[in-house]
Amino acid sequence: MIFWRRKTHETELDEELRTHLSMAAQTRMERGVDPEEAERAARREFGNVGLVKEATRDAWGGRWLGDLLDDTRYGLRMLGKNPGFTAVAMLTLALGIGSNTAVFSLIDALLLRSLAVPAPRELVHISFGPPGTKGPLSGPMFDRLRERQSAFTDLFAWKNGPMVLTEKDAARPITGAYATGSAFPTLKLKPRLGRLLNWQDDEPDASSNGIAAVISEAFWIEHFDGDPRVLGQPITVDGGTATIVGVMPRSFNGITVDYAPQVVLPFAFDVALRGKSSCRFRASCAWFHAMGRLKPGVGFAQARANLSTIAGDVLKESLPSNYERVDYLRNGILSLTPGHTGNSPLGEVYGRELWTLQALVGLLMIICCANLASLELSRTLNRQHELVVRSALGAGRLRLVRQLVAESAILAFAGATAGIVLSQWMSALLVGYIEQSDFPVFLDLRPDTATLAATIALATLTVILAGALPALDLTRVHTEEMLRSGAQRTVARKRHPFAASLLPVQVALSLLLASLALLFAISTGKLLRMDPGFRVKGITLFGVDFERRPEKGEARLDLHRRMLEALQRAPGVEAASVIAARPLGDGGMDESAAPVEGNGPETRHLFENVVGPGYFQTAGTKVLAGREFSQFDRLGATPVCTLNEAAASFFFPRQSALGKHVRSTEPNAARATCEVIAVVADAKYLSLREPAPPTIYYPYEQLPSFNWVGFITRSHDTSAAVAAFKNALSRLAPDTPLLPPITMQRQLEDSIGKERLTAALSLFFGGLALLLTSIGLYGLESQRVAQRTAEIGLRMALGAQGKDMLWFILREAGVVFAIGVPIGLALTFAASHFIGALLYEISPLDPRIHFVTVLILLGAGFLASFIPARRAMSVDPMVALRYE
Amino acid sequence: MPEKKERYQNRIELLQGTLDLLILQTLQWGPQHGYGISVAIRNRSGEILQVDTGSLYPALHRLEKQRWIKAEWKVSENKQRAKYYRLSAAGKKQLSRELSKWSQLSDAMAGVLNPDET
Repeated sequence: MIFWRRKTHETELDEELRTHLSMAAQTRMERGVDPEEAERAARREFGNVGLVKEATRDAWGGRWLGDLLDDTRYGLRMLGKNPGFTAVAMLTLALGIGSNTAVFSLIDALLLRSLAVPAPRELVHISFGPPGTKGPLSGPMFDRLRERQSAFTDLFAWKNGPMVLTEKDAARPITGAYATGSAFPTLKLKPRLGRLLNWQDDEPDASSNGIAAVISEAFWIEHFDGDPRVLGQPITVDGGTATIVGVMPRSFNGITVDYAPQVVLPFAFDVALRGKSSCRFRASCAWFHAMGRLKPGVGFAQARANLSTIAGDVLKESLPSNYERVDYLRNGILSLTPGHTGNSPLGEVYGRELWTLQALVGLLMIICCANLASLELSRTLNRQHELVVRSALGAGRLRLVRQLVAESAILAFAGATAGIVLSQWMSALLVGYIEQSDFPVFLDLRPDTATLAATIALATLTVILAGALPALDLTRVHTEEMLRSGAQRTVARKRHPFAASLLPVQVALSLLLASLALLFAISTGKLLRMDPGFRVKGITLFGVDFERRPEKGEARLDLHRRMLEALQRAPGVEAASVIAARPLGDGGMDESAAPVEGNGPETRHLFENVVGPGYFQTAGTKVLAGREFSQFDRLGATPVCTLNEAAASFFFPRQSALGKHVRSTEPNAARATCEVIAVVADAKYLSLREPAPPTIYYPYEQLPSFNWVGFITRSHDTSAAVAAFKNALSRLAPDTPLLPPITMQRQLEDSIGKERLTAALSLFFGGLALLLTSIGLYGLESQRVAQRTAEIGLRMALGAQGKDMLWFILREAGVVFAIGVPIGLALTFAASHFIGALLYEISPLDPRIHFVTVLILLGAGFLASFIPARRAMSVDPMVALRYE
Repeated sequence: MPEKKERYQNRIELLQGTLDLLILQTLQWGPQHGYGISVAIRNRSGEILQVDTGSLYPALHRLEKQRWIKAEWKVSENKQRAKYYRLSAAGKKQLSRELSKWSQLSDAMAGVLNPDET
């Protein structure tokens, strides 16, 4: 039945039945019955007009559509009549679904989503390193492996790395990657435009006729305006030139989830650029992220077996000669892991935190559902009279349930839509926490099928839990009984066991979420406030890339000196120096050293840093004894070094380290021994969570071959330091790309990104849980007070005091908490197992935390039930009783 | 509800499907409205078959949807607008099919109930 024709049918049916009745009455009147009696008899004979109509409409068919429209229309009207309920319910749903979708879409993007290539399940990662680690392979290792393997259609290697694009003398950083020629054929990718790289592009002599490069679609559109004439254009990257031969498809953003290369070059490019010093063929250079595609019919286990049979020979032929001396190489093995999701360094770092958050938002969703269910339930309770009347008028029970479900469905739909919108915003916020400053994180967070399916499943589940269950329960009404007692509101409605059991659960879960939030927040606060051994405020770090400057050796040192001088003299800059290993940066250098005098143990692995004159004063690291490096600690002067306290007390326990000598045991060390001229305070270079490593500092001017240094400044105002650096760079070394500067504050925050993420989100979710539970409690208690107005009035008329009534209501909330709090505490203790490792210097069982959380929860609970309780207190007995 | 019980005691529940046959058969004598059909069935069955309106109207609308009967609004003898149903060509065929089915059924029933007569 087409629904616009329904209206006519409806009026026709009305008229048809009316005619029937009047004819029946007419017949009786003709037999001499008086008109009133005749009409009544006709009506009696006819039966329930509504039911007849219902049954007839059924015969029309296509009825569900009309009913659906009716249900929807009616549902919308009912929701509109109760805007408070609708707003709270929608907000609850939107927050619950929004948080879940946001966290899930991040997990999906980082950990679950497959690479956009054909048959991604056939892909595997091949990695090298001591058991349990997944490190890259060296070039020779990859080549030997590729020659010997038989389980894969092919292998390829990939290496992400920032590059510098030079155009018309302007340089700018881009994201780049190197790939072996086998990469695109093995991935089975089709080009968006032109062609992709193949084996010929990666041949050693490929450079003779120009090296090929492919670019990403985004880069093509943004940088070349999507012009197809880009094919054949030269592109100058890292000082070398390649020819663009193709554009990669939009869906493919490299094999690393959070890194989208704009340009992909064959490794031959690096060989052509750096010649013998290229990492491509050096055994000591572990560079290659290797992947392979399983041959059809070859399983993962079979491939692993194949790998283990050839691994010994491959390693023997490809490890550097000194591998016995290096733990990492000696213990290294080749291992295979599934590769369909690609490589996700960010996922590895954040995986545990993200799943923890997912568990938290899952609990939050339960609270949301419980809240919705109790809201819906109390609303349905209030509508019981309406339901009874409707069922008396001929509505079937199924029809009533459907009506209630329809209302929930409207809510779920609206809530899910709002939730998805909210999740977009929350995802962006999440990525902001994860993002490191060095390079923007690329993450494709568009909700895909999996995310949308999860959201829809969640909303549907909510509908069933929140709408249908209470509906089923409540439509089991006894029409006559209810109609008869409908007016007598003193009959206290039976407490609803379903609703009553929901609140303690909510309280318990809120307690769990609030405790976790507090733990994470305190732990992160401790990390942020601890003394890392260097200044945080006012420090700015500058990376610099003088690779392509003509100055080498002494001239390069002089360039550094002039840069430093310019920085030191710049207005607003208080101090400046040179630094190699940024505190809490990614990198660091290892050094093995032994004391020459003194009775310490033989050798010790040290963290090594290379710094300039006045570094400790600039960085705010205390010099405990001796002097800073000065400009006179140059090549030709006595080789000097500085130890931190940990290293000094290790090598020279119970004696002064000043004037003693330390010998480097590294095979290629620039100098054998150095004189210790200072002992400085410990500073945390690697991680805030771990104690400072024993550290040795060298003056950079005594290591002329050491090129990778940057600058550090201290200033009141970061922008002054940045301006000074820009100015100095453009004056002294023009055409050097300006790498983004980073403040120490940001560096520190980045280094504890996951802790901050967990803390911020769990605080947010914990607060939300508390709020939702309070709303739930408030709703329930208000309902109870409203239902028992007469009872309360009667009690007051019989002499009960206001405070008795207050107690009467609060007692009920008390019961909820008496059940919920112990369950919540038990849950929290159970969860402490899992979160202990995520915390810093605080025990998950710290009683103070739980005391505070319980207090907060009780406070919120008291507030939520006090408002309705006050209403109960102010009930005027006369009014309440007259109401009957 | 005593009167309701009484009403149902004197009634013979119609066999599934027989109501359609009764309606089609009734309409063979000419177009009729819903009330007329119910009166006709009651009268012709000697007051034994009482068609419940809750079954009659759904059946009428179903038959109309199957195009075995057609409906039109006409003015009755009492100058009342009423919806008249009449048999369509397809309905006539359906009626003969139903009639033969019914006679088969009643023969079979008779055979079972009075075995000696055959």
